[in-house]
Amino acid sequence: MTQNKGKGFTRRTFLKASGAASALLGSAGLGFYGYEAGKDPRTYRGWENWEGVNQDFNRKKYAVDKPTYLKVGETSRPDARSDVIFYRRGLFRRQWRDETGLEGLDPYLQKYYRQNPEHLELDLYSQNELMPKLMADTRKYRKQFLLAAAWSNAMGAVGPPRITEPPEKSDFMLNRRTGQPIEAVQFKDPVKTSKLIKKMAHELGSTLVGIARLNPDWVYSYTSIGRGFKSDEPIEVPKHWQFAIVVGTPMSWDPLYANPTYGTSNDAYSRSRIIGFRLASFIKQLGYGARPHTPGTDYDLMVPPILVDAGIGEQGRPSIVITPELGNNFRPAVITTNLPLVPDKPIDFGVQDFCKHCKICAENCPSGAITFGDPVEERGYLRFKVDTAKCLNFWNSTLGSMGCRLCVAVCPYTRKANWIHKAALKVTADDPTGLTEKGLTFLQKKFYPGPDPQTYYMPSLGGENASYRPPPWWLRSEDFIE
Amino acid sequence: MSFFSSGFFWFMEGVFACLAVLGLKLWAEDRGIPMPFWKWILAGIWVVFLGFTIAFVGTSLGENEVVAARLGGILFGLTSIVSGIGLWRLLHSGRKAVK
Repeated sequence: MTQNKGKGFTRRTFLKASGAASALLGSAGLGFYGYEAGKDPRTYRGWENWEGVNQDFNRKKYAVDKPTYLKVGETSRPDARSDVIFYRRGLFRRQWRDETGLEGLDPYLQKYYRQNPEHLELDLYSQNELMPKLMADTRKYRKQFLLAAAWSNAMGAVGPPRITEPPEKSDFMLNRRTGQPIEAVQFKDPVKTSKLIKKMAHELGSTLVGIARLNPDWVYSYTSIGRGFKSDEPIEVPKHWQFAIVVGTPMSWDPLYANPTYGTSNDAYSRSRIIGFRLASFIKQLGYGARPHTPGTDYDLMVPPILVDAGIGEQGRPSIVITPELGNNFRPAVITTNLPLVPDKPIDFGVQDFCKHCKICAENCPSGAITFGDPVEERGYLRFKVDTAKCLNFWNSTLGSMGCRLCVAVCPYTRKANWIHKAALKVTADDPTGLTEKGLTFLQKKFYPGPDPQTYYMPSLGGENASYRPPPWWLRSEDFIE
Repeated sequence: MSFFSSGFFWFMEGVFACLAVLGLKLWAEDRGIPMPFWKWILAGIWVVFLGFTIAFVGTSLGENEVVAARLGGILFGLTSIVSGIGLWRLLHSGRKAVK
């Protein structure tokens, strides 16, 4: 190349200057690209589109033969009347009288509270002190959360009717003339049927879907919410509950980060509930038994271990399941069925180890419900135990659209699907040394801090109605309402 | 779809990268700086890291994570500057006087 010294601005000089300018423009472009990637609503997985494009984690690579929870002793099934906080609180409120005390409760509640006296204190505290304070603060600060509450209620306003008949009746499509179940069609191949069911689940709006062989240990031994079962009779696991199909959707991302005050579970609950009923209807029309177990509380079984069995994710420290695609921002429904299917394998993408070290959810949990300790045995299985009574009491200690979900909002796995967080997940899952995991957890704590957990409480309990992140513009009542 | 998430944006980034490499080559020749392959590799790694830093700050700001943008900018930015100075000195090693 000729150098034309003395001729002023040469072609060579022009190319060098272009190179420098290109470096600057390229760098600036990356900055703008990053900004757009951070804002891009297409990174809000599970809300931008259906068709299953969000279930893009290579599960086969991380498939394991046994679930990542450990069976360590003799197993027993949970009694929903006492072990499930929502049902227990309902029964407790109906049955408790100060004059009769513990003796006035049904025997199973008496037994539970004798074994767990701290929960009697927490349930009494909720009834006698917390709820009146919640009512008073709700009246006082109602206006601030008006849009959030209205949005949450709107999301929960539509849904299929509750199941009232026993499984042998409600789980089948009956011939109107004979009253007998319609004849089941014969499928050619369970592998193809499983593929069909997964496609159908995605078509019906499910972000993630998986299949497990139903472990009877997850079915309640007793329940108190009906669905064709009597509260004083043990549940016999119906013979046609052979497989469990799990479906689910995430909660809307921006309000999720504005928890515990502005978020809601109703959005994902409603979608997953409708998907569950639709998929059950699809299966029933083909002559097979199907029962949806759906949010908020219409279950005959425990959902998290079924998600683990189906390879959707792993059960983490906050006791809910962490998925590779959505973190624990995932609200599931389960369909039990006898449609011949092929179960998926559980996956191990490092959550158990990650949760042992991370503890961000425990540090940010205002109620102290999430343990800092190791997994403990419960009904024969090892798992991180959450004190659900403390958890629910915090729900009633905060204003807004009800609930908490902070353990979802702060989880390092629960991030939008932009390049930073996708890369972090990929590196963490593939690093056998665990060093990346520790480094990224350290950065997560420094880079994404939240307010002091005590500020999340409502003002009458010494808090400030704080949220993990500011609410999205469309939930700020003060900007819209006089 | 915005310009910055389009294929055309990445095409332009490619054009800019080619021009920047050509400019660096000419600049090094004019200054008598030898550019063996390992210098190109080191320069490439540094450019990728700098790009990561800029994109990290941008993405964090887009996510409204101001603390992450600030701390990431300081941490990765300082690393870029320090390693950039080191790389600059390394690039000049073996420099011949240009007539």
